[in-house]
Amino acid sequence: MALRLTFLTALAAFAAGCSNSGNNNAASTVPAGTKPKIGVVTNTTDPFWDLCEAGANKAAKDFDVDLVFRQPEKLDAAIQMPIIDAWVKQGMNGIAVSVIDPKGQEEDLTRIAKKVSLVTMDNDAAESTGRLCYIGVDNHEAGRAAGRMVKKALPNGGTIALFIGNNSSANAVGRISGVLDELGTPEANGTPGKHPTKPEVNGKFYGKYFLVDGEAKTDGGPGEKAVTNTRDVLGRLEGVTDICMVGLYAYNPPAILEAARAKSLVGKIKIVGFDENLETLKAIDKGEIEGTVWQDPFNYGYKSVEVLAAAARGDKSKIVGKGQIPYRLVTKDGGPDQTTNGLVIQNLKAAVVEKKIRDDLASVKK
Amino acid sequence: MTRILGIVGLVTALYAALLLSTPPAGKTDNLIDVANLQGQYGIVTLGAALVIIVGGIDLSIGSVVGCAAVLFGVVMKSGVHPYAAVLLVLAFGATVGLVNGLLVTRLKLQAFLVTLCGMFVYRGLARLIGGTVSRNWVTDPRDPAAHPEFDQPLRGLRFLTIGKDFNGELLFPGEFVLLLVLAAVLGFFLHRTAYGRYWYAIGHNELAAEYAGVNVNRQRVMVYVICSTLAALAGVLLFLNSPSVQSDAGGSSWELFAILGAVLGGCSLRGGEGTAVGMVLGAMVMPVVDNFVNLRGMKSDGIPAVIGLTLLVGTIIDEVIRRRSKAGKV
Repeated sequence: MALRLTFLTALAAFAAGCSNSGNNNAASTVPAGTKPKIGVVTNTTDPFWDLCEAGANKAAKDFDVDLVFRQPEKLDAAIQMPIIDAWVKQGMNGIAVSVIDPKGQEEDLTRIAKKVSLVTMDNDAAESTGRLCYIGVDNHEAGRAAGRMVKKALPNGGTIALFIGNNSSANAVGRISGVLDELGTPEANGTPGKHPTKPEVNGKFYGKYFLVDGEAKTDGGPGEKAVTNTRDVLGRLEGVTDICMVGLYAYNPPAILEAARAKSLVGKIKIVGFDENLETLKAIDKGEIEGTVWQDPFNYGYKSVEVLAAAARGDKSKIVGKGQIPYRLVTKDGGPDQTTNGLVIQNLKAAVVEKKIRDDLASVKK
Repeated sequence: MTRILGIVGLVTALYAALLLSTPPAGKTDNLIDVANLQGQYGIVTLGAALVIIVGGIDLSIGSVVGCAAVLFGVVMKSGVHPYAAVLLVLAFGATVGLVNGLLVTRLKLQAFLVTLCGMFVYRGLARLIGGTVSRNWVTDPRDPAAHPEFDQPLRGLRFLTIGKDFNGELLFPGEFVLLLVLAAVLGFFLHRTAYGRYWYAIGHNELAAEYAGVNVNRQRVMVYVICSTLAALAGVLLFLNSPSVQSDAGGSSWELFAILGAVLGGCSLRGGEGTAVGMVLGAMVMPVVDNFVNLRGMKSDGIPAVIGLTLLVGTIIDEVIRRRSKAGKV
């Protein structure tokens, strides 16, 4: 067995040596006067990414780029990676990717970054992959901002439930831990226990807040499961007051709202959201959702193409430094800027953001 | 032979369209990529096709693929060596097939219903036993529960079965080679042994086969076992080939690709028809279309429709060729 293992290892190592061209971004730069070819691939299909696509399309016009934008049908790294591999073989000069599984994809992204300029957006991968930069907000800080909205909605504590697509991607990990760190400090890991008035519901206490099931409920991406997850939790909490449901992916707040409508609980429970789904913004304007954390995906798309186009022409000055993309809060009436943990956070009116998003979408034909 | 002509024409036309679409399409590394994807779908197509030949259907294939991939990761994480884990996962697949086969033959339940229920059961099982699994999750040296010592054997297995080197670069279409080997073995049984004659006979006329002395139930169970074992093997390959496998998405819809490949390859859903060569050719269609739309840089929103329409047109052309060749014979 050991001999066979050694043989296999040696064979594969030999093959690795044969294939390692070490061309480090050889395909990334283009001769003067040539249009760079840029690919942007998201983690799944969602209106959030339509905004990103609009931004990328605008940048493609502004910076004279051939752009291919893909929204894979499922939140699955096994579907996303073949798209990226095909682009590399097609001779793309730069690729932007919203990473789904940073650990699992680390090796593949490292391999890709050796051949093509690679940018991560919305969801980061390890810096050791060799990506040029990460274009996105600090998800942990943004999660803390959502946590502060929960505190404002339920100042005396209460029952919360978190909803998200998965719990492994970098943005999911950051947002979940951000919310819980904000609510639970200093008991950031939570204390397991039973719900005070519904002992059949297990969970964890984070300060004055009880988290249903002690973890974020995952739904695998946009779809009916996002609604049924919320509906099931609301069913289990029947009769409980002071509930706040937190939707951490763009489609989660509208899904929570739909489940709340089905149970005639709109206005009776608090909802805190993430991202700028038009349904979410409308609901904030009507007072049905407390507020949301806005990442500006239009800018993600725009900046990704800008950085990659410049890199393809040999200009690395556009690379975005850590923490340079701010998040913003969106509430019904907006408010003054806040300075939290050294970050200046804008608090914008939902109606204003909704108009901006509609304008962004209309500015470039999809 | 005439049954194969349609699918040969379709595959040739699709390859021609692909090669003419963009210059990178004809590059060796791109064709290796396509071949590997053909191998991936082809392995489950072989199983689906066998079940179809005996007049059955297996809708649980995709869920078994996903469940097997997750199980492979989970058992290795618990300390089972990768080689032993492969055997365990294949045994899991065989057990699934045995259960499906017994339910269909002994309880006389409809294969459609049994395997439809299996589709939900094994997807649910995958979600119960694990979330997202990957080689990194199993071998990460920073994780005290992981097994870094499995990294080398897993990379070795990946090199042999997928064709990827230590950096994850695809050097040769390992999955396609595996498909050809499996198809050759299956073809031998199907076309050169009594088993094949039994399977065709059962698919053509089950009652007649039974009167002729064929143990129909045993043969049917055997075919379901082969089908689910191949699906489990595909799950292991999915784990080795992918950056990660999600329990709720891994292998999703593969049963449809497998059935599509089998039917395009000449298997009749009424049973009793199909060849090993046809199965391989049928499985080659979808990845070529997929690669075509990827390289053309088509809009995300239009891709499913383009794939569906291409396959539909292919099916129509294939059917027309078959009818004409039949009419010609008459």
